[in-house]
Amino acid sequence: MANIDALRQEVSRVLSEKIVDVVLGFEAGSLPTRNQPVFIHKAKESKRLVDNGFGSNNLAALLAQRPKDEKIGVICRGCESRAIRALTVEQQLNRENLYLIGVPCRGIIDWRALERAVDGEILAVAEDGEDLLVTLKDDEKKLARAEVLHSACRNCRQPDPVGTDVLIGELPAREGLAQRSPDVAAFLGKDADARYAIFSEEAERCIRCYACREACPMCYCTECFVDHITPRWSESMVSKGGTQAWHIIRAFHQTGRCVSCGACERACPMEIKMEYITDRLNEDMQDMYGFEVGANDSDQPPFAAFSLDDRNRFKE
Amino acid sequence: MSYKTTPVNQFPKLVSQWIKKYDVTAPAEAKNGLEYKTIGDPAEMMLNNRVNTTYAPKAFFLPQSEKLFTVEHGRFQAPELKTKPRLLLGVRPCDTRAFWLLDTVFLAKGEEDAYWQRRRADSLVISFGCDTPCASCFCTSVGGEPFGREGSDIQMTQLEDVYVFEAFTEKGSALINKLPEADAATVKKVKALQKTSAAEMPKAFDNTNLRDHLYALFEDDFWKEVAETCLGCGVCTYLCPTCYCFDIVDEVQRGERVRNWDTCMFRVYSQEASGHNPRPNKAARTRQRVMHKYAYWIDSINEFGCTGCGRCVVNCPVNIDIREIVSAAQARSAKMEAAK
Amino acid sequence: MNLYQPMPMRVERVINETSDLTLKSFELTFENKTDQKAFFEKYNPGQFCQFSVFGKGEAPFGIASAAWEGPFVRFTVQNVGSLTQTIHNLQPGDLVGVRGPLGNGFPLDKLKGRNLVIIGGGCAFSTLYALTKHIMYKEHRKDYGQLTIVYGARNSGLCLYKADIESWYDRSDMVIHQAIDVPEEGWDHHVGYVPDVVKKVAPAPKNTSAIVCGPPIMTKFTLPILSELGFPPKEIYTSLEKRMKCGVGKCGRCNIGSKYVCKDGPVFTLAELNDLPQDI
Repeated sequence: MANIDALRQEVSRVLSEKIVDVVLGFEAGSLPTRNQPVFIHKAKESKRLVDNGFGSNNLAALLAQRPKDEKIGVICRGCESRAIRALTVEQQLNRENLYLIGVPCRGIIDWRALERAVDGEILAVAEDGEDLLVTLKDDEKKLARAEVLHSACRNCRQPDPVGTDVLIGELPAREGLAQRSPDVAAFLGKDADARYAIFSEEAERCIRCYACREACPMCYCTECFVDHITPRWSESMVSKGGTQAWHIIRAFHQTGRCVSCGACERACPMEIKMEYITDRLNEDMQDMYGFEVGANDSDQPPFAAFSLDDRNRFKE
Repeated sequence: MSYKTTPVNQFPKLVSQWIKKYDVTAPAEAKNGLEYKTIGDPAEMMLNNRVNTTYAPKAFFLPQSEKLFTVEHGRFQAPELKTKPRLLLGVRPCDTRAFWLLDTVFLAKGEEDAYWQRRRADSLVISFGCDTPCASCFCTSVGGEPFGREGSDIQMTQLEDVYVFEAFTEKGSALINKLPEADAATVKKVKALQKTSAAEMPKAFDNTNLRDHLYALFEDDFWKEVAETCLGCGVCTYLCPTCYCFDIVDEVQRGERVRNWDTCMFRVYSQEASGHNPRPNKAARTRQRVMHKYAYWIDSINEFGCTGCGRCVVNCPVNIDIREIVSAAQARSAKMEAAK
Repeated sequence: MNLYQPMPMRVERVINETSDLTLKSFELTFENKTDQKAFFEKYNPGQFCQFSVFGKGEAPFGIASAAWEGPFVRFTVQNVGSLTQTIHNLQPGDLVGVRGPLGNGFPLDKLKGRNLVIIGGGCAFSTLYALTKHIMYKEHRKDYGQLTIVYGARNSGLCLYKADIESWYDRSDMVIHQAIDVPEEGWDHHVGYVPDVVKKVAPAPKNTSAIVCGPPIMTKFTLPILSELGFPPKEIYTSLEKRMKCGVGKCGRCNIGSKYVCKDGPVFTLAELNDLPQDI
């Protein structure tokens, strides 16, 4: 975690020196286990910023709708920095207009898991090293942070911000970061019927609110395929044909593009697990094309790139 | 009306009898916490939970997707809605109040929605009075109460080891008339509990003149500020017990005309064929959501179209809290008024 | 009764209205006598129907015929999208679905005894055509005062109901002003935009109601001119268009403030519109 004073100071500085017009970060939310994304417009508002484990969103998802010529500062964790890189590569963002303030990340707390673990109305949560101190109405509980970390963060391979303009705080030593998602491995260990059963059970809960799409930094299409009417690509209903098509097609659109931040899962009110699908597709991209999303500032995702020299020609 | 009672440990036996006659639908454990399920065994039901279900029970009367017609050779045939009667058990009063509010839309005299009407007529609702509100609850700020009766046939209250039932409708009475009467002391306790629960519920905001405050802000930049971090997803409206907007779509392969929930938070909702969109940005769409609930409903029936269940507060992915919007709107409007 | 159930209707006649083939009129007849009876008991010019072709969906269209014209119902449809393209491909004998009449039409009772200025532009003239046909019917004509029509189209090829409107010039009980946007050889009526023609014609507001239907831009510029001429807001009527699905005030889509265009409109007075939030 960054030193919060240093972070606020830097935000205050870039705003008052007019390096940026606005800074995007998190402020404390209306409930003790939530943060709210916030656009800081004035230097003196920088005291609203917080840096804790409850920033559930990928802030890069909020950049697409900003005015084109706005200079914007973004407080970035690893996944945000990778999303911004990927969006820059896909020419959705102009890096020149961004000022990236990197912060060390210790993973995002899954507030639903936390609330279930303590089973009581949470009045306050304090982060104390590897522990969380939870104040309940007439009790106090201590749990290990790792227990209630969101799965995307538990599986995170690149928690440190990349390509930032400034880093606030020190990056911790990283050991034992998984190179492959254990969730994907577990899923692939099952036979086809079992895999389909898992997928069906998840998709079945979908209410098509598209929080996953809207929370995703990489879902930026002006017209999503599900909103397309002529032709219609999937059933409009919360039927199997509708919800399964939604999750499968969305995952395919994310092949080599998903930054594995898990913001989709954290936004989902029905707690649908969906990241293992895109993680699996990303592993394919890595195995087949040696491509890793957000790894550098230039490589186009294989399925989004077009080259006249492509050695695999379309059939004549 | 009289009060009936049954010991908590005898209740499953009663529910077993009901299961034979009804689709008994009650909160039960689900992968995402708590959801309504049609239970086959009373052991599945989870009553008096600390939190409400994620998905609102309005879906039992207005399913998220439903077949309006099957179509053959261009002729529209409505499906027969023959269902086993449903007994909705353990519904929180905020959610039953939503049934009552939605009845004004779907059962408006001479304009009844046949699908809602049929499902509503085929069901019985037993609400469960709330004695411990959550941090996200605000029913008393919007005209409701933790023991509100609207929209339910029977209300049940837990007093330590007994459940006390009070019926508000004839079909409710018919269901419980064989249960033993509650004695005077028990009734007194129930009434006291109802009173203290309502009194202890903190007010999220003062709703006086809220409608006027919102109208005063209609053209203000306020909405732009409120919606600045809105993702434009449908969580708040799809989980809302009173949101009822829908779309009608032809599913050619099924040979069906269906209706699906829809939401004013989606850009495409108000997009016209000409390309014109009367609500072209998130600010206009957020304004519509909030004003529909706290101003337009008041204009129509002088009730708020929000029951304070708090689902949108709990589940908004960016923690946009409608209570904070309301409070901020009041403050802004008051400031504008003062500056005049 | 099922609010969403379309009644089966059959295409009786298809009329190509305009030289560019973008506007066609469809005259539909009822498959069931009971539907026909129920329809005409309720119908009032200014109302609309939900026209459906299964597989393509449903869309609202104003009714373009008067009740006395016959057992048919006329719709004039502009080909702008996927549903309207399908409608344009319909042939006599085809079966379609129709719900209606929906909404409130023009307030005929309130208009009785008054002079009327009917102002229309483009394909939105259809419901005004129905209103004019209603008023001109011999049994009804005596109920209304002077009748003035201003009708504009982009060019002469886009003028609707040509033969019929041409015959209106010969009538002594009405005045018709037709206009096109730019001069054309052989056009001896007005040239210019509808608001300008209204200004030129300058109808007197005394005991007169104005009824305006047209593209939003035309309506927007015509309303202030009527106000300048002295028409009070409660005597200016206009019909709104919005995206609609259910057409009966349930689906929530077409609201302006607490009013639903489908149920509380589509006809509103300017006075009513002035009281609504500007969410149009």
